[in-house]
Amino acid sequence: MENDALNHGMRLRFTYAPYPLVGRPREVLRRYVEGDDPVTGRPIMQQVVEALTLPLTPEEKEPQARRGAPRPRLLAADKEENLHQLFLESGWTDGLPIVLPTEERVAHMLTGTAADPNEVVGRMTITVHQEKLEYTVEKVAVNAVMAGAGPEHLPVILALAATEEPALPSSTTSFGRMAFVNGPIREEIGMNAGLGALSPFNHANSVIGRAWTLMAINLADSRLGETFMASLGNTINYNNMMFAENEERSVWEPFHVRKGFKKEESTVSVFQGWTAINSMGAAGCCRPAQEEMLIIMQAFPCLRGAITMVMDPLVAAHIKEQGFDHPDQLSEYLSKNFKMTAKQFWGSDVVYSLVEPFARSGMQPFATWLDLPDDALIAPYGVPENINVVVVGGETQALWLTTDMWHGKTVSVDKWRPKSGVYEEDPDAARRRSARLKRHAAALSRSGYAESSGH
Amino acid sequence: MALKTAGSVVTVLDPRGQPTNVIEPLPMAPRLDSLEGKTIHLIDIGFGGGWEFLEEVVAWFERNMPSVKTVLKHKTGIMFMDEPQMWEDARRDAHAVIFGVGG
Repeated sequence: MENDALNHGMRLRFTYAPYPLVGRPREVLRRYVEGDDPVTGRPIMQQVVEALTLPLTPEEKEPQARRGAPRPRLLAADKEENLHQLFLESGWTDGLPIVLPTEERVAHMLTGTAADPNEVVGRMTITVHQEKLEYTVEKVAVNAVMAGAGPEHLPVILALAATEEPALPSSTTSFGRMAFVNGPIREEIGMNAGLGALSPFNHANSVIGRAWTLMAINLADSRLGETFMASLGNTINYNNMMFAENEERSVWEPFHVRKGFKKEESTVSVFQGWTAINSMGAAGCCRPAQEEMLIIMQAFPCLRGAITMVMDPLVAAHIKEQGFDHPDQLSEYLSKNFKMTAKQFWGSDVVYSLVEPFARSGMQPFATWLDLPDDALIAPYGVPENINVVVVGGETQALWLTTDMWHGKTVSVDKWRPKSGVYEEDPDAARRRSARLKRHAAALSRSGYAESSGH
Repeated sequence: MALKTAGSVVTVLDPRGQPTNVIEPLPMAPRLDSLEGKTIHLIDIGFGGGWEFLEEVVAWFERNMPSVKTVLKHKTGIMFMDEPQMWEDARRDAHAVIFGVGG
């Protein structure tokens, strides 16, 4: 709280009550008010009165600006093991071993883009209550090296950085992120859009997702307990559900084309939410998948009226067989047919905190919903455009993930490519690519998928 | 790519972004000599439990400092949005403001 105020230029006087307040009986709240501040040990209301009446201190009258010192380009030279320890203890990693960003490695990474290393890519913060940090192409490359990425991955990582959307948006509710890549670069850099695409078997998916997290830590100033306040945290934060869309096996046009890009363009799309529910193979067995989706959606509080379906190509084909020739038709179906009671909607803590204020100020349809009887049915996913669909997976099971992720941005990757358009593989990149292809071919062979699908 | 200097002293780049230092500090508003006969706005910003807690603060003033006039208000809009009208109302109608942040 105090940092929040300072980052708005304000030095305020605070008094703290025991936490939490939500859901506590009235007599407990009264005891809190009549009791002591757990931080200072002094009576809460005495502190409140003093906060309003004690004369200002010199610092309160004429506050000094908090100025962060410019970070040096290079850290002091040291032994490798000491530098690994420095990065870990300074909170500059995700807790896993990193690749040290030597000048040599960073220079090599920068061969993956035509952009000037000193070009400012953007400014980022993990909380609206904190001053943003600024970062260049070179800073992004440093974090890409740390993540274990190669130069071929840098254009996608730069595009992620250019969204200015940090992978770890701070909220006590513990946000998660999702991102996926469309277009030719998926294959060029060896991303996995098929079997196990969301599991840790593919180098490109893994390091790009990890780089986004490391950029949030170092370029958006994520510091546990100071700027990052997620109560539980979220395992999605390690890799951010990073994958490529399976455009080749989808029955629909690719996601980025539906968002206005050309098919031959490469893009990355970023999402934000909290979690995902696995349908566990319900497509078409006992009821159509779209009906099962309506049931699963009941688990979410509908805070932003946004849902993203992450579905296997088999599910997309099944949905299309039900008459949904375009995913927008599925979005319209779900928007129209999903209903929940007003009591269920307004009973959510986050809806109370973040939607009810709009209702009180008269914003529709929330104001009308607030006046409805408890058992009245409402359609809280009222904007079909907020219901998105993406296709990924290996067709070994007709399942999908129902996520509460909302679409943030879709941005071009191509502006960050090297002059040649495609990174020319060095021996290391070629070895990674060869190993990936061998592993993938072996996995397909074992699953029987290669024979049955003709791949 | 293999590290040619493995096992020896190496130099690495700082991974952190640069501070932008754009925030200008504001002086705190003058304090009151006393709360006797003054009007205080108690504003709940919307986190759960904040409103009920502030109701108890209002009750405390009624019991212990009855000359203080309290006005309990919801912040309009969500807590992450500025609300110029709220500030204007406070400047015009109140001598002091207590913000309640629940959760």
